Amino acid sequence: MAAAVGAAGVRHEPARAPWVDRHFRWLLVAPATFVILLVGLFPFVYTLLVSFQNITMLEEDTSFQGFANYARLLSDTRFWEALGHTLIFLAIALPAELVLGFLLALLFLEKMPGRQIFVALIVLPVVVSPIVAGATWRLLFDNRFGPINQILSWIAGEPVTILWINNPTFVYPAILLAEIWQWTPFMFLLLWAALNEVDRSQLEAAEIDGASWWQRLWWVVLPAIRPVVIIALLIRGLDLFRLFDVVWGLTRGGPGTMTETISIYTYVVGFQQFETSYAAAMALVIILLLSAVVMTALDRVAIAR
Amino acid sequence: MRRMRRREMLAAAAAAGVLTATGRPARAGSAAAIAVEAAKKLGPQEITIVWEAGLQSLDPLNFSGPLWEKQTGIKVKVIEVPTAEMFTKILQEHRAGTGAYDALNVIPAWMADLVRAGALEPLDPYVDKYGYRDELKEIAPVYRDNQMTVGGKIYGFPDDGDVFVMYYRKDVLGDPKVQATYKAKTGKDMPVPPKTWEELADVAAAINEATGKKPYGCAFFREPPYMQFMFQERFRNNGGKFFDAATMKATINSEAGLKTFQGWLKENELGPPGMVSWGFVENLAAFLKGDTAITISWPPYGRWAAGYGTEEKALSWVPKSQIAGKVGYAMPPGGHPQLAAGFSLCVSASSKKKEAAYLFIQWLNSKEISLQRVQLPYALRDPFRESHFASEEYRKRWPEAPEYLAALQAGAVNGLLDLSLIQTDKYEEALRQGISRLWAGEDPKKILDDVAAQWDRITQQIGVERQKAAYAEWAAKPNAYPKL
Repeated sequence: MAAAVGAAGVRHEPARAPWVDRHFRWLLVAPATFVILLVGLFPFVYTLLVSFQNITMLEEDTSFQGFANYARLLSDTRFWEALGHTLIFLAIALPAELVLGFLLALLFLEKMPGRQIFVALIVLPVVVSPIVAGATWRLLFDNRFGPINQILSWIAGEPVTILWINNPTFVYPAILLAEIWQWTPFMFLLLWAALNEVDRSQLEAAEIDGASWWQRLWWVVLPAIRPVVIIALLIRGLDLFRLFDVVWGLTRGGPGTMTETISIYTYVVGFQQFETSYAAAMALVIILLLSAVVMTALDRVAIAR
Repeated sequence: MRRMRRREMLAAAAAAGVLTATGRPARAGSAAAIAVEAAKKLGPQEITIVWEAGLQSLDPLNFSGPLWEKQTGIKVKVIEVPTAEMFTKILQEHRAGTGAYDALNVIPAWMADLVRAGALEPLDPYVDKYGYRDELKEIAPVYRDNQMTVGGKIYGFPDDGDVFVMYYRKDVLGDPKVQATYKAKTGKDMPVPPKTWEELADVAAAINEATGKKPYGCAFFREPPYMQFMFQERFRNNGGKFFDAATMKATINSEAGLKTFQGWLKENELGPPGMVSWGFVENLAAFLKGDTAITISWPPYGRWAAGYGTEEKALSWVPKSQIAGKVGYAMPPGGHPQLAAGFSLCVSASSKKKEAAYLFIQWLNSKEISLQRVQLPYALRDPFRESHFASEEYRKRWPEAPEYLAALQAGAVNGLLDLSLIQTDKYEEALRQGISRLWAGEDPKKILDDVAAQWDRITQQIGVERQKAAYAEWAAKPNAYPKL
């Protein structure tokens, strides 16, 4: 940059702007950056550091032990089984919630008497704390006092004693029922809002062109709500990946470890067995897995752009 | 007889109410009086104590806390924590070093881990300073010798005589029809009460047959957290040892373990449908309603079955007993009951008011105050001193109270300690999962082999030699294994 030349030919250095003015933009973003570093980067780096140590609340020795926790993780069948259980819940609950939520949204798209009341009732489960929902379903499934077995007994005409949360055959359906009951309304709300925003003129045009109901749904409605669907799937997918409360309230991961999710196992290791470093290694592996899945998904659907 | 009993109950409840409201002053020169006098000199302040949430904590909230404040000016803040979180909270607080907890309730099996972590204050200097050693000696031997020290030092005062007791319906087991059925099935006179698990199963089968399952012959809680205590008891009564002391290889999958699991499965057939999902309350409700004839549980079952104190508001959730006056008390089959859980009173090593905390727990645990506390109908503290078992006051609480106290006293002689090693909970957790798998229908032998393999892995992680030393210390205690 050339220096300014004065009328008398004397070169003048331009007056330097005050420091605050020169760095004003950085000052503006500094608090946000600090907060992000504090709540995001610091815990991540600290967890990374801890995962290479040998910290347990019961031992004084906290020395570094390299990749020992990660090596242990590779051979920890319970960890991989828990991951498998989590994926089972994810694979069943997510599409079920999407389909049911979408059908409900379609149902309530048209004006009908008492719609507001029905919608309010449908949405109720979402406002219940998941741990409370789990405990409530546990009572509902109780083999002796629970209404579910009682209703089945009335239908069957003889006492029915299904051990919903003890019997391996019934425990997954029981958890999935509770989970789907609670979170389908969330899908419903998002999809209902999206459906209401679909351009009516496009639908009318398609109808005039002779498109059937299915064709309008497939070629007009679904493309229009696709971004919302994807975001809804991502939110619920991530939620299901960290599934804890309902399962904990219902089965605590049992029978044995049959319904133990990755979050429950991490909790058990970290907060019941106090293996802080090993739990940190688990948490990091889960974060990396999740990040990879989310980035791939976003990349695929071009939402990130 | 019926009217008489009701009157006795009301009198007992009234007495308990008076106790709740006032307490009794300590005898001059007693450990309680010494603690009060010393605490007065410390001046007004507030101490915190960690206590199990729920009924247990009504003791310091309604009785001992206000009484201590009245006598010493020291206020007691009760931190209620669910049992499952107590160990974690205590340890976390210790690691954080906040000094938030002054006194602690600790399950004795945790003491070794907490001492290793440096979370508990050694109490010997305080015991000597405040002249408590003589009264400590009067605690029933099984608690005193096993639940008080770690490495020869006192870290806690045993404060709860938790022990499994068998409760049976005297009217049902005394029914000639049931006895005739038993004799027809086995060719022997029916033992009342049954002394072995085989006898218990035969008696239960005879009851089922003779009464058409009204009541069912037997029922037990089956939730894994309780059942791991049951396993520890029955496994050892069956002659099992948890580890090979020389190699520290787990031997839980021995014949004794398999016999225990198979026995449970057999008894499930004799109890009500769905029993495998029962916890403490479901089993209690069934027994108190008269739906089941034999069960095993902690001491409060016996008090509530007799109707003692169940008029209290805090016990409104306890079903009204339909079997008062019909219940017999005995040792569970095998004769060596589990001292399942229990509580010891300790001082937090990170407390900033150790002196005041110590004086409070000495006072709580003292002969005079503890006698009042174990008679609180709602507070779940069970007799643990010889003087409690012999107390004339307690023996008059309900007509069968002397038999009840005799059963508890027998437990305090023959009881078996909870397993206590380095990181005991990991071993217990593996066992809990195994039990859960048993209820799900998996093969008992395979489960036990898996649990044993898990135990071996845990031992390897902790260090075989370290764990061997911890196990040797535990196994050397007089009530670690029965003298069969």
